[in-house]
Amino acid sequence: MTTQTGSTVTRMQTTRAGGQMIADYWDNIFTARERGKHVVWYNGSALNPIFQAAGLEWCHGEAFSARLAAQHLEGPAQLAGAEYGYINELCSYSRTHLGCAVLSNGGGPAPGSETGVVDALDQQELASKLPKPDFFVNAYSGCSTGQQWDEMTYRVFGRSIPIFNVSIPFLWGNRPDSTYMAGQEWDEATDYVVGQLRELVTFIEAQTGRPFDWDALSESMSYIRRASELRLEGMALCERKPTPATYWDWVASIAHINFLPGDQALVDYFASVRDEIQARVDAGVPALENERYRLYFDGIMNWNKLGWLAKRFAEYDAAVIAGRYTHSSFWQEPQLIDPEDPLRGMAQHYLLCPINHSLKTLNYLTLRDCERFEIDGLVFHSTRTCRAFTNPQTMLASTAREHLGIPAMFFEGDVADASFYKDDILESRLVAMLESIDVRRAKAGV
Amino acid sequence: MALRTMGVDLGSTTAKAVVVDEAGGIVAHRVVQMGAVSRRGVAAAIDAVLDDAGLERGDLGQVIATGYGRRLVPDVDRTFTEITCHARGVAAMCPGAALVIDIGGQDSKAIRVDEVGLVDDFAMNDRCASGTGRFFEVLARALECRLDDLDDLALAGGQDLEVSSMCATFAETEIISLLAEGEEPTDIAASVHRAVSARTLGLVSRVGRAAPVVMTGGVARSRAAVHFLAESLRAPVIVPAEPQISGAYGAALLGLESLQGETRVIGQAVDREHVHTGQQPNGRDCSTCSLGRAKYQPIDVELWTASIAADRRP
Amino acid sequence: MNAILDRLAEVAADPDRYVVEWKRTHPDRKVAGVLPMNFPEELLHAAGFLPVVIQENNEPDTEGRVILAEFYCGYTRNLADQAAKGRLKIYDAFFLADHCVQLLGAADVMRFKQPHTPIFFGQFIASMSEPSTPARVRGELDHIVAEVERSTGVPLDHGRLAESIRLYNRDRALLRAVFDARREGRVHLSSKAMQNLVKSSMVMDKAEHIALLEQLLSDGIESHDPHARVRLHLSGHFCHAPKQALLELFEDCGAEIVDDDLYHGRRYITTDVREDLEPVAALSQWYFDRNVNVPCPTRVQHNADWDTYLTKAVSESGADGVVILMAKFCEPHMLLYPELRKALEAREIPYLLVETEHAGLPMETLRTRVEALVERISRRAAVAAS
Repeated sequence: MTTQTGSTVTRMQTTRAGGQMIADYWDNIFTARERGKHVVWYNGSALNPIFQAAGLEWCHGEAFSARLAAQHLEGPAQLAGAEYGYINELCSYSRTHLGCAVLSNGGGPAPGSETGVVDALDQQELASKLPKPDFFVNAYSGCSTGQQWDEMTYRVFGRSIPIFNVSIPFLWGNRPDSTYMAGQEWDEATDYVVGQLRELVTFIEAQTGRPFDWDALSESMSYIRRASELRLEGMALCERKPTPATYWDWVASIAHINFLPGDQALVDYFASVRDEIQARVDAGVPALENERYRLYFDGIMNWNKLGWLAKRFAEYDAAVIAGRYTHSSFWQEPQLIDPEDPLRGMAQHYLLCPINHSLKTLNYLTLRDCERFEIDGLVFHSTRTCRAFTNPQTMLASTAREHLGIPAMFFEGDVADASFYKDDILESRLVAMLESIDVRRAKAGV
Repeated sequence: MALRTMGVDLGSTTAKAVVVDEAGGIVAHRVVQMGAVSRRGVAAAIDAVLDDAGLERGDLGQVIATGYGRRLVPDVDRTFTEITCHARGVAAMCPGAALVIDIGGQDSKAIRVDEVGLVDDFAMNDRCASGTGRFFEVLARALECRLDDLDDLALAGGQDLEVSSMCATFAETEIISLLAEGEEPTDIAASVHRAVSARTLGLVSRVGRAAPVVMTGGVARSRAAVHFLAESLRAPVIVPAEPQISGAYGAALLGLESLQGETRVIGQAVDREHVHTGQQPNGRDCSTCSLGRAKYQPIDVELWTASIAADRRP
Repeated sequence: MNAILDRLAEVAADPDRYVVEWKRTHPDRKVAGVLPMNFPEELLHAAGFLPVVIQENNEPDTEGRVILAEFYCGYTRNLADQAAKGRLKIYDAFFLADHCVQLLGAADVMRFKQPHTPIFFGQFIASMSEPSTPARVRGELDHIVAEVERSTGVPLDHGRLAESIRLYNRDRALLRAVFDARREGRVHLSSKAMQNLVKSSMVMDKAEHIALLEQLLSDGIESHDPHARVRLHLSGHFCHAPKQALLELFEDCGAEIVDDDLYHGRRYITTDVREDLEPVAALSQWYFDRNVNVPCPTRVQHNADWDTYLTKAVSESGADGVVILMAKFCEPHMLLYPELRKALEAREIPYLLVETEHAGLPMETLRTRVEALVERISRRAAVAAS
């Protein structure tokens, strides 16, 4: 039955080069203080265009945790967090980031003292990198833990640094008219978030002592809108069989669309991503040498296993093509953005975070993308410390089985804590699912 | 008849009994291996220790039971938890100890002890057997070696392999698959030990790290387990010569104190009895102690730091 | 008196039976299942519903065990199991106001398994101090009122709402009287009995509950000297009742529970709804008042925090130590835990963290830990005295 023919992923040149943009971004953050810039720590929604227009340097907490995990540098921060008292079942993004806050604030043991688990060297290494914030902004969608997390960061810093909370209502779908991007609930939630974004701008003006530059916001949002359109064009090319690019390529571009500055460089990046995919289509170069299965990935990313996972799926000729995390997030509805009056479209994207929907909408999005990309099976990353993303997974699997007749598999892992990962389980479940796809094809005479 | 008290520690895989004299000195002690918590095991330990001490049960002023099976020990005056008893026993065996790490057959605990030997805080593993004696048995079985040979194997390991699963159930499969990938048993043994120590560090972090660190319980007899724990703590780890009896010893001392009608400052009784020589990190002079013959095994922290540097991946 | 306590215990032990029986005797009325923690039950009561806070049950999770992943709290997974087994069909509608990601996961399962029962989420914003929050909360209350009116087909009578508020306040006041008496050492009810008082209040018709409480108080509660060696404060569990076997274990290990901040305890009964305001506005105000009176880590508010509340409560009751009861995987509790620990350590208050699950609590290990806490407190006291 299922055999390993051992495809390898042909990684895209552009995303490889794009890694430098991210490295440069973080290097820039690390020197913010020397350059006399105000630094904001934020979590959740992509508020960065507002920060960019206000002349701030922005540091996204989850992104920093994800980066540490991807570089296998999460250990010291997580240990500092554990020593401070965070239990390992807590969201690993938050305890990694809070661990950084503990270190950054010197809240850990005094350097050189013998009382701390984390030694002074580790502390200096990390603490010197992440500059202390001038203020916090939280705008977490979907996950209730997100807002509480920044409240704790605020406390770790001795309650002395100002914080502003933008509350994003959960799109529960109370009314019959509640559907994806429509209905009374959607309109009211949009109005409410827009109102808070205006209050946020007032807060930022007070923090920086400068009037907010609305033109700069319009400009950066017009770049972001264009970048998003190019990204979606690239995704559309992946409807082809075999696919010219994979989910893993889109994962490699998450940082860009999620928090890099909205500018010409961003547009150029996504233009080159789109162009490279188009060139592959033109030259008949597939992402996998021998694509036999087309899969959908539901779950937040397992950052410390990213390359490994991509390789694992490829070995079984399984092209992971689309996913909730990549395809239903990150300025994915650019038509909502009006660069002349950007706040409304921004608020709506914050509401469209893929963990901010109830099951009804998630069923719609999953079925839509599975049909669009002709998916053979779903892979669910049951993310140990991310309840928000894992919430509806078993029900999504049953809906897909019922409506599309496609199988699903689950594997356990985590966003930033490799200890929750069980390799053997992934492999045996993947093989089992691929075998069931084979059986289904044999029955259908395909 | 001079006053004698007995402490009995019924653990998950061993039964320990200690008889002390009225000054708190050990008269006799015994460790009996059992397959599981067993009344027969505890009876064997009690009989043997009484025999060694030349006593009858009726000669004892007090019998105190402790350990996981403390409520199964017959005819005792009262029970104390192993937390209280280990703290008490270690404080006597090694005055000044600030952190006790006890790893037995099926559980592990970290106990922070204050300057007079009272429990400040403690943390225990729940149901997970990760890092306990049982876990090392699984490791030995998967590596097809004797439990006693694990030490040499692990201490010879260099490369740090990624061992993700610390669950005793999954670890065996993971170890076998590492073997199948052609990894060296030495590296596997060392890596598993490292991963286990990291877990213990998690337990320590729940109570806060403190020094000096004393390790007790059956696992403390493993040179490799002590080595890797010290490596991950980056601090010396002191092991009493009889690391398994500290709970029973503490129980016997608590019995003695209840008869003497006072709760004395921990360690005092023992200090009177023994001359301590050698240096401890807290400046105390202590290479022999409570038993009058026990030897600490001080760990050279600099040596470890060097081995960490050599072992670690860049 | 025992007959009253027995009746309350009976309802607390099997809320479903009470609901089914109530429906039988009230064939033209509806029962609303309410999810914790902040939904104003008074509104539903005024509209003629029997509001019932849905409790964790004692059955093992089976049919619904795998719908939510194993890293969800015991309560939410048990709700999913109840939904999968059809146990929640006794409710005509569901209401919730709290944005907890795990609770919403369970609510999604309820809607998935019981698609024809309306489940209304009127989200009360958790960031209490932002300028836009009060108006938003008021707006959500208006939405809830509209939903209730849609469900009953008649406009909500504000006079009846004021009456329901008075009734609920009365019940809370009576419960507080017992809790205060325990804290002051005037009565010694087991912590199991104390839990039954509150849990039955979450289930029963309020007037019936009040009548029983009034009878209980006028008969008087037996007072006896406990043999307890140490006095403990129970802290945590924001949504479901800690298992009674666990409460018995504490007492069995030589501890007496003198106070708590549990949802099935002080948290549920501390805050009254103001009777001097327009009733819907008063319910909105109640939401803000609750978090000041017994702050909750699910809320974000800079001028109220649980750690300050906890240390103050401990000093008022004279408790020797604190048991922190954490529903395993409860993220707000895990996030705040280091702050609680810091506050308790700063005041040298001994504490023990106990993580709870729906089934399979390692009781022997827990016994060791609880006994160790009791020994730690008593030995310290003995040394201090000698």
